[in-house]
Amino acid sequence: MNLEALTWLILFLPLLAAGIITLFTLRNKPVSATLSIGAICTGFALTLALIKFGGWDARELSVNWLSIGDLTVDFGLKLDALSLMMLLVVTGVGGAIHIYSLGYMRDDPGFSRFFACLSLFTFSMLGIVLANNFLQMFIFWELVGVSSYLLIGFWFEKASAADAAKKAFITNRLGDFGFMLGILIIFATLGSLNFAKLESNDAIATLGGMATLGGLLIFCGAVGKSAQFPLHVWLPDAMEGPTPVSALIHAATMVAAGVYMLCRVFFIFTPDALTVIAWIGGFTALLAALIAVQQNDIKRILAYSTLSQLGYMVMGVGLHSPEAGMFHLTTHAFFKALLFLGAGSVIIALHHEQDIWKMGGLRKKMPVTFWTFMVGTLALAGVWPLSGFFSKDAILAAAHEHNLLLFGLGVAVAALTTFYMFRLVFVAFLGSERTPEAGHAHESPGVVVWPLRILAVASVIGGVIGIEALFGGMFNADAAHPHGLLAQMIYPFQNAPVAAFSGLAAFAVGLFAAWKLYANAKSDPLPEKLGALSRAMANRFYFDELYEATVIRIHDSIAAIADWIDRWIIEGFCLGLVRGGTDLTGRALRLVQTGNLQTYAFLFVLGVALVLWFVLGK
Amino acid sequence: MNLSLISLEMSVVALGILVLLADLWLPAERKKMLGYAAAAVLGLLFLNSFTSHCSCALIGESAFGGMFVQDGLSVFFKRFFLLAAVLVLVLAVEFSDRIAAGVSEYYSLIVFALAGMLFAASANDFAMLFVSIELITITFYVLTSFTRGKVVALEAGVKYLILGALSSAFMIYGIALVWGTSGQFNFNELAIVAGDFASNRLFLFGVLFILVGLGFKIAAFPLQMWTPDVYQGAPTPTTAFLAVGSKAAGFVLLLRFLFSAIPEVTAQWGNLLIVISAVTILYGNLCAIPQRNLKRLLGYSSIAHAGYLLLGVAALTSAGQSAALYYLGGYLFTTVAAFVVIALVLRHLDSEDVSGLAGLHQRSPLLAATLTLAMVSLAGIPPLAGFFGKFLLLKAVIEQGANNPGYYCLAFTALVGVVISLYYYFGVIRAIYWSQTAPDLSPIRMSRPIQCAIGVCLAGMFWLGLFPGTVLTLADDAVKFLKL
Repeated sequence: MNLEALTWLILFLPLLAAGIITLFTLRNKPVSATLSIGAICTGFALTLALIKFGGWDARELSVNWLSIGDLTVDFGLKLDALSLMMLLVVTGVGGAIHIYSLGYMRDDPGFSRFFACLSLFTFSMLGIVLANNFLQMFIFWELVGVSSYLLIGFWFEKASAADAAKKAFITNRLGDFGFMLGILIIFATLGSLNFAKLESNDAIATLGGMATLGGLLIFCGAVGKSAQFPLHVWLPDAMEGPTPVSALIHAATMVAAGVYMLCRVFFIFTPDALTVIAWIGGFTALLAALIAVQQNDIKRILAYSTLSQLGYMVMGVGLHSPEAGMFHLTTHAFFKALLFLGAGSVIIALHHEQDIWKMGGLRKKMPVTFWTFMVGTLALAGVWPLSGFFSKDAILAAAHEHNLLLFGLGVAVAALTTFYMFRLVFVAFLGSERTPEAGHAHESPGVVVWPLRILAVASVIGGVIGIEALFGGMFNADAAHPHGLLAQMIYPFQNAPVAAFSGLAAFAVGLFAAWKLYANAKSDPLPEKLGALSRAMANRFYFDELYEATVIRIHDSIAAIADWIDRWIIEGFCLGLVRGGTDLTGRALRLVQTGNLQTYAFLFVLGVALVLWFVLGK
Repeated sequence: MNLSLISLEMSVVALGILVLLADLWLPAERKKMLGYAAAAVLGLLFLNSFTSHCSCALIGESAFGGMFVQDGLSVFFKRFFLLAAVLVLVLAVEFSDRIAAGVSEYYSLIVFALAGMLFAASANDFAMLFVSIELITITFYVLTSFTRGKVVALEAGVKYLILGALSSAFMIYGIALVWGTSGQFNFNELAIVAGDFASNRLFLFGVLFILVGLGFKIAAFPLQMWTPDVYQGAPTPTTAFLAVGSKAAGFVLLLRFLFSAIPEVTAQWGNLLIVISAVTILYGNLCAIPQRNLKRLLGYSSIAHAGYLLLGVAALTSAGQSAALYYLGGYLFTTVAAFVVIALVLRHLDSEDVSGLAGLHQRSPLLAATLTLAMVSLAGIPPLAGFFGKFLLLKAVIEQGANNPGYYCLAFTALVGVVISLYYYFGVIRAIYWSQTAPDLSPIRMSRPIQCAIGVCLAGMFWLGLFPGTVLTLADDAVKFLKL
């Protein structure tokens, strides 16, 4: 058995765990948790082994899955720097979140079900990461949709959670529809869905005029999954799920799938398509950052922050540097998972209170949570030498090189990011407690804080451990990349000093504004100062209301018409007639079966006579 | 004389006699083991049929002056019958507490019926055909009314006897006519001259009368009248064997007669077969709709399945024939599974009403799942055996549509039949899972062998549905020996 065969194990262990938990161990909490955590941690260990012994080189393994006529579909796994790094992120960050769930979900009656869903989700996500063709990726793409539906709606007895799950699923489906059309266009023109084949056959040239359209349709999938404008509305609502789910899905993995997919099929995008992608990313980043400024729910602030950072990554891809997008994706997975888990720790301590204006003074009560949260905040804000600085700088440098307008936008978003994150920190952790509950809070147990510590370390060093060089080597082999710790640390200032110093300046501006407005603030001063703009931000620029009034209303009326047609014309008239007729015939024929032997014999002979006449009578 | 060729048949007959003899010395409480022992021996014979030691390996040889042939077709069916008999014997042991006296005779009669079926698979002339079919039918007369304390069983036996005698009369008359006109008794020799008689009315008269006898066995329209009454009245293991073994025996004889003995005549009869197949499908499915009695419902459903099997015959191609063989394979596992569940669940009830299934998913999830899967497979839903079988049959029929538009009508009728059948099959599933009142919620106990039998049936259903390759190759090889 060669080493690569382990990849199958990495992929299918979580599925196995999910299956066993669902079928056998729903009542046994410790076993369920062990299976689920064991599966993902084994996956992490195996990935490390793969990298240790096999290196980062690209390789593929596949088995023939089905062949219908000329169409053959392989079930293949693709291993290269991109997917191996993503494997590490999914199993590593995911593993930390699995362990954290052990504490967070301890008293939940659906404990085992939760771990089964987590494992199913991990399986689907690993499937996307390892897919070597579009069809397989699409299948796992949908599986991620399904498992995220199960996780977001985990507390389905809460109406808001059920609605949020539905909203996430349906919004994702809108994007997936475009994704599927894009795949079909590619298959119709090129006759293959295998990434390696598409790349070597020069897909853009063969697609010709359809190339931009095809690329943008593929991008639709990422718009849905990575929650880009205009399909961003599902992500904040999805915070209804348990906090580990928010961390897993909405920080580290699911939303990253869109960006990952863009990088995986980067060769398929024309320059025009990339421009559109960059602008959509930039716009999403700005929009979400503005909204985040006026949110009061700790998880929603983080949710909009995620949206904003995803916009950054997409913008990076659109600016011809997928390596920057992937770099930011990786570091973001570390510190955003950290922030979400830290928020979860706060939420447990305050008995499920999520309003930051009812917190305050938590620094002294929850020191570990505070300091790790602080690390996450600084990393997100892009402070040198934490990981966020380097990845953000890579994107800003790309923007500075390709599009000055987007560069300005990126710097503004960076300032806003610092502002809203420090608003959160000042209000929730510093100052004095605003409610008695905040006064009674105390630090979370070890199983919760240890994942925080691990992720904090990753957030600090993530920028200087060679991740950038790894991705850079894959997408842009010619460019020079620094090696050695010190070289990496000062590389941004040598390579693109404008971008680096702009980023730091943005941090300073944001920090100063937040300190000025929120240090020891009793209530939010912004609504008075900004008036209508603040209300619009707080209400998420009325996107939900807009969709409610247009898309959903149109959809509802179409549904009502279809319902009427189905009920009265198809069901009532067509089916009613057929069913009634069939039923009547059945009952009539039953009368023939009298049970009387003489009748049977008579009908028997009559039947024979009939057959004789049929054959010989003509 | 080539006695080694019939070694399998001789072993089976010897087994039947041994079971009868052993009965004399075995104490009453040990007689149950006799059924298991017989099943085990047949199981070994089944496994042995895949080795080179068995007479099944002597393909292409014949014995008794060409009366008895061994070819791919006969071997396919012999394995089929052996497997069916093993499963039915296990079921019979499970059922034995409801047989008042002579349990061992019941087992040995099953074994003798099996011997008849094995001979039928190899029958290559009219004498062999008639003798084997009578061996099967007469043992079934007894098997049907074996629980003679019950009026329904006696009534079923009498009806089967009288109608069976009627059909035998037709058949023997037909054989006489064919022999009288053509002077041939052996199928191979008849095939040489059949073309000359293709317009001889007396000859055709005889052929049709023989088909009446065979049609009676497989319960094709218009000779299906006996089926529901006999299925309902007979003890459940008998019904299972009747539905699977007896029908398949009629089928192998029909295939051999139509395609080996009189290929030229059959080639003209596409339309007749189309009409018979279509009417059989519709009749079986329509009549099943109002049924509440499970065994009666399966009786009508077995008529419908005879119709589906006839699709493969009507197609007049080897693709159709192999599809029919494949379908029979799936039908074996599915039908036996259904009857096993019925025998176990309705053990303490007098009637076999659908309502007796209420709450089954709580009493025994395994049985509930088995019956559900059996119904789903009978209805022809992927990924189970019934789906792939129906797919192959319809494919064979539609491929013939270019020659005769009637085939398109036939395929359409078959699809309509499938849709109708969904209604009553899912009625059964609904009774299992969504019944309002469940009077009895006690768990159902099962012996280890019957669990194995259920396991075999389930595995067979999935295996044929998911990995059709192996059995399809066997079926393709089997029909190579037919002349049309």
